[in-house]
Amino acid sequence: MSARQMKLGLFLWATGHHIAAWRHPDAHVTAGIDIDHYIALAQTAEAAKFDMVFCEDAAGLREANVNIASQTSRSIGFEPISLLSALAAQTERIGLVSTASTSYNEPYGLARMFASLDNLSGGRAGWNLVTSASPIEAANFGATGLRPHADRYARAREFATVIIGLWNRRAAGHDGESFSVRDPLDIPPSPQGAPVMVQAGASDDGKDLAARTADVVFSAAQTFEDAKAFYDDLKGRLAAYGRQPDDVKIMPGVAPIVAATKAEAQAKYDALQELIPDDVGVALLSSYLSISDLGRYPIDGQLPELPESEGMKSRQALVIEQARRDGLSIRELARYFAGARGHWRVVGTAEQIADELQARFEGGAADGFNVMPSWFPGELDAFATLVVPELQRRGLFRRDYEGRTLREHLGLKRPI
Amino acid sequence: MGSTMHLAISLNIAATDGQDVLDFGQISAFVRKTEAAGVDMVIISDSADKPSSSPFEATTLLAALATVTDKIGLVAGASTLAHQPYNLARRFASLDIISHGRIGWNATTAQNPREAANFSRPEGFSDDDFRRRAREFIDIVRLLWIGWEHDALLFDKASGRFHDPDKMHPADFTGEFFSVRGPLNVARSPQDVPVLVMSGLAGTELDFASRRADVVLLDKLEPSGARATCDEIKRRAHEAGRDPVTIKVLAMADAGPEHDGRGLEDLCLSSGCDGIVLTVQPRAAALEALVERLLPDLKRHGFAKAKPGKTLRDRLGLSEDSKP
Ligand SMILES: Cc1cc2nc3c(=O)[nH]c(=O)nc-3n(C[C@H](O)[C@H](O)[C@H](O)COP(=O)(O)O)c2cc1C
Repeated sequence: MSARQMKLGLFLWATGHHIAAWRHPDAHVTAGIDIDHYIALAQTAEAAKFDMVFCEDAAGLREANVNIASQTSRSIGFEPISLLSALAAQTERIGLVSTASTSYNEPYGLARMFASLDNLSGGRAGWNLVTSASPIEAANFGATGLRPHADRYARAREFATVIIGLWNRRAAGHDGESFSVRDPLDIPPSPQGAPVMVQAGASDDGKDLAARTADVVFSAAQTFEDAKAFYDDLKGRLAAYGRQPDDVKIMPGVAPIVAATKAEAQAKYDALQELIPDDVGVALLSSYLSISDLGRYPIDGQLPELPESEGMKSRQALVIEQARRDGLSIRELARYFAGARGHWRVVGTAEQIADELQARFEGGAADGFNVMPSWFPGELDAFATLVVPELQRRGLFRRDYEGRTLREHLGLKRPI
Repeated sequence: MGSTMHLAISLNIAATDGQDVLDFGQISAFVRKTEAAGVDMVIISDSADKPSSSPFEATTLLAALATVTDKIGLVAGASTLAHQPYNLARRFASLDIISHGRIGWNATTAQNPREAANFSRPEGFSDDDFRRRAREFIDIVRLLWIGWEHDALLFDKASGRFHDPDKMHPADFTGEFFSVRGPLNVARSPQDVPVLVMSGLAGTELDFASRRADVVLLDKLEPSGARATCDEIKRRAHEAGRDPVTIKVLAMADAGPEHDGRGLEDLCLSSGCDGIVLTVQPRAAALEALVERLLPDLKRHGFAKAKPGKTLRDRLGLSEDSKP
């Protein structure tokens, strides 16, 4: 057997992961209405032998304040299952993973959508399960507001049980708290058996659900220690569900900025940071902290004390910890955070970035990485042409696909 | 009034018997051949009372087909029971952008008990509730589709304004069945609103369709029955303040060997419909017969002559500037 190799996902988001990406002179600013742009990105990732492309999703605007929202490119884009179905016809090998919410879908309907994507792509589909933490989304599906964290996860657990049953053709008939389903799924399985299950929740409820049902886990971790702690925690939970450590691939996010020299990379990063308006940075930070009025605190002062979030508990904790650790002001924190939303940022040459990735991969903190280019297409091209060949030279990443399905790329068992 | 006879094809991928399931290559090859033959649109549905064995769901299939075609209209069936209005509005707006304005939504108006049983509604809705809910659903979807003005996106890198905040409008809809704030997180699509197709109508839905639908499909009726229904739809559309040419009524007919170009031309002319929809069985042999035999014959009898236009609306003569 060949040595263990890392998995790479391309995390797509609007014009890029940096909040000011769209203002970059070479960023493709019409990404959200240009399917050819996405086809080109997917083909670039496929030529670089990425395991998958991954689409985030929210069933609503990302930002409630229209003044702030209108200074970002994130209010419009493609519905991701439609987008990936289009990409399925324009790619051959790369995995196609989309986020979809357990709060605003029905398991039978979502099972059909992903099964169809799986068949269109010849067994390359995956579903990132999210419970949807935003009140903006909730308001598009009724007047009762965002449901509490524990309720959302109760529904998500039932949802996952039902959809896995449908995909794996277990005996039909479910009559539960949130859902009832009478018939078996009416769409036959793809060559990979069932879509790959992905999750990115990091609360206790989230990690337990992932340990029970996920094939891939995305995470956000700044430091090696955080990444390793998350990795060990999640892998440690698997035995309780009768699973092996290798059954789940953990892929933290990484937001690289790569150039021929460290100084050049740093200059690219600094130029992007300059494009962030203060109000946008603070608003973005507020949304991850789940408070609405961070703007009324002095921007050069420290973060105020905050109540625990009903939204994304894990990301809130991560932000607060970083602010305290590095003694950052609100402005500094906002700027830092706007760059990659709390994900790991690496700035340097291809060798330096490969060193960093290798250290986390070999140090037991990651099975691979969810790559988050700062802007498209430039930073994806840079990663594909500079970092990927370096990883290949080191034997850390495939030179060509061996399998056809996403499960084969990831080295996952077929579902039983 | 222009006398273009429109030609659509209806392919119910769920109607397979499990013996001869069409794969994506076969479906896309078929759709491309019908595109080359001048067919205005293909309507794909995937819902049936019985379980199907098709590997695809209609809207996902449409997205893939959109990337391998460039002129033909693409319509997918999707029910108001199996979806939420916000999700469905996003999906069709996205498909419309992906296809550069060639998309339609066939909104099924009859309650499918199989769907109710699998979508956590074991008790279903009363017919009356179902109808009112479906209307509300369709109205919300339309409202969401026009939430962004045409020129809302500025893309102004220098000033830092991506869009004009005054040109994005929430739906703020509160109704009997749904409450939806909006706006959609998908841009205004090329057709503004994807083409709304309705079929299987009776009584009260006919009234709603006359007000809202762009295209109405008439079930396999005798020419005389089709004539009466077609006239009735146009009359009600007129009463509702619409120009009757902006609603197209198509008569459905089977693509089987019993039909030829002359007979279908007669059906179209004697029923006063704007064109016909051929229903074809999702089997390779049936698709081939349609392409090889019937389409060339229909062309000889005056069908499939519509100018492609930029969007499906243009092609069907539904957009403001394509009216005669
Ligand atoms: C890489 C990554 C991608 C994510 N993508 C989404 C997304 O697209 N939509 C969403 O609602 N949440 C997304 N999340 C958030 C989580 O999936 C999760 O819902 C959130 O952290 C709240 O769950 P928790 O309280 O268990 O952490 C993402 C998280 C990570 C790490």
